[in-house]
Amino acid sequence: MLELYAISKIYGNGVVALRDVDLKVEKGEFVFIVGPSGAGKTTLTRLLLAEEKPTKGQIIVNKKVVNNLRRNEIPYLRRQIGTVFQDFRLMNNWTVEENVAFAMKVIEASRRSIRKRVPEVLDMVGLSSKAKHLPTQLSGGEQQRVALARAIVNQPYVLLADEPTGNLDPETAWGIMNILQDINAQGTTVLMVTHAKNIVDAMRKRVVALEAGRIVRDEYRGAYGNED
Amino acid sequence: MKIRTWGFFSGQAFSSMRRNSWMTIASIGTVAVTMIVLGVFLLLAANLTHWAGSIESQVEISIYLQDEITREQVDELAQKFTQLEQVAVVKYVSKEEALLKMRDWYGENADFLAGLELDNPLRNGFKLTTHRPDQVLDLAPTLRTYDGVAEVQYGQGMVEQLFAVTGVLRVVALALMIGLAAAATFIIANTIRITVFARRREINIMKYVGATDWFIRWPFVIEGMTLGLIGSLVAAGLIAWSYQASFAKLVISVPVIPLVNPWPFLLGIVGWLVLIGTTLGVVGSTVSLRRFLRV
Repeated sequence: MLELYAISKIYGNGVVALRDVDLKVEKGEFVFIVGPSGAGKTTLTRLLLAEEKPTKGQIIVNKKVVNNLRRNEIPYLRRQIGTVFQDFRLMNNWTVEENVAFAMKVIEASRRSIRKRVPEVLDMVGLSSKAKHLPTQLSGGEQQRVALARAIVNQPYVLLADEPTGNLDPETAWGIMNILQDINAQGTTVLMVTHAKNIVDAMRKRVVALEAGRIVRDEYRGAYGNED
Repeated sequence: MKIRTWGFFSGQAFSSMRRNSWMTIASIGTVAVTMIVLGVFLLLAANLTHWAGSIESQVEISIYLQDEITREQVDELAQKFTQLEQVAVVKYVSKEEALLKMRDWYGENADFLAGLELDNPLRNGFKLTTHRPDQVLDLAPTLRTYDGVAEVQYGQGMVEQLFAVTGVLRVVALALMIGLAAAATFIIANTIRITVFARRREINIMKYVGATDWFIRWPFVIEGMTLGLIGSLVAAGLIAWSYQASFAKLVISVPVIPLVNPWPFLLGIVGWLVLIGTTLGVVGSTVSLRRFLRV
């Protein structure tokens, strides 16, 4: 379970990014976080990844309080949260399989389990045939699938996707959504920050809408926005 | 960290060096040049100190005895001098020996000394050397108080000035070395910073995947260490080779200047250069990384 209790984030310059946010996400849920630019979506992901500390409130990931971690504890939190970003964030001089295997090397997995697990996830995202390619030889959609494979290779507790389809054309975006749905179906909690109205509307999942740092709507089987 | 992880780290370090081969060559060159400059100064400083030391070590105390004292008194004095803890060597010089030495000194012009054997005007005495040359200053005046001692000479005035000069030389040599080492650290850290800066995106990605700081750091540390080691080995090799070559020439052409013997002296110099170069590589990469690990 992912729990946020009365989270506020006020930046040094006085900007209030989040105000008293309460949010609970059960294991295995699929949640869209929507809202206009500057609503606090990015701050929310930064707090979850412990890139920043909340000014007030408590964050609990998998029964562990994570809002006040020491610097050397942060990597272990991030291993529980698989991340995917709009800009893919792949190592461009490593092959696809090296990129995916890296996440396992970080946790010092055995060579044998890496050899077994990497092809599995590459197969799941449909990139088995491109294992030896470099990211620069792939399309945007393919690169995002590599990032997804890397995010789930260690079976994280949560998958946090920050605008994963932001750089992709609609058709490719749907390919990514299908994989996210597969991952979710296997029991991984998925948190997706997005602007893609058509995707949110079509998927009919839980939608949490932020506006000016507050949660203004939290609907199961919701849509992007009622008004627009 | 597990063994396979160390394998991964060194693999990363070496593939990065191969990929950025120009930067690698530039870094090795920087380390080598800096270490050569440092090495030359080390050699100069060591020889300067050696020279100063050899001048200082020529400082000795001459004690002249009263003519009328007995053989037993002389033996007694010899024993007392030997027991002084600052004193390294006590040598008795009879007036006959002193005359012979004087004659040697004047060589062909020694004619005017003829006949003095019969009525030797010189005095019996001792030559004392101390463990450390500067102990002469404190010791000499006290020797005058011994019974039977007529006069004590140690180049009063001259010796004090000599020590002042050699003291300044030592301080200057040390200051130069510290300054150079600081400059070397700065240059090397800056060179490595360029490679780190080029890879800040990769470092950032590693942080998001959950890599610990040390997991990210080690490949850079290994890289910095290797660059530092290769660069300083090149420098140390050149330094050792050229010192040995010029030593052989200088000893013959300028025998007045006492040079430090190449062996085992050069072993120490090579050891220091390699140690400093390698350390600078490690420190440089660690320092340069710090800023980029804060994500």
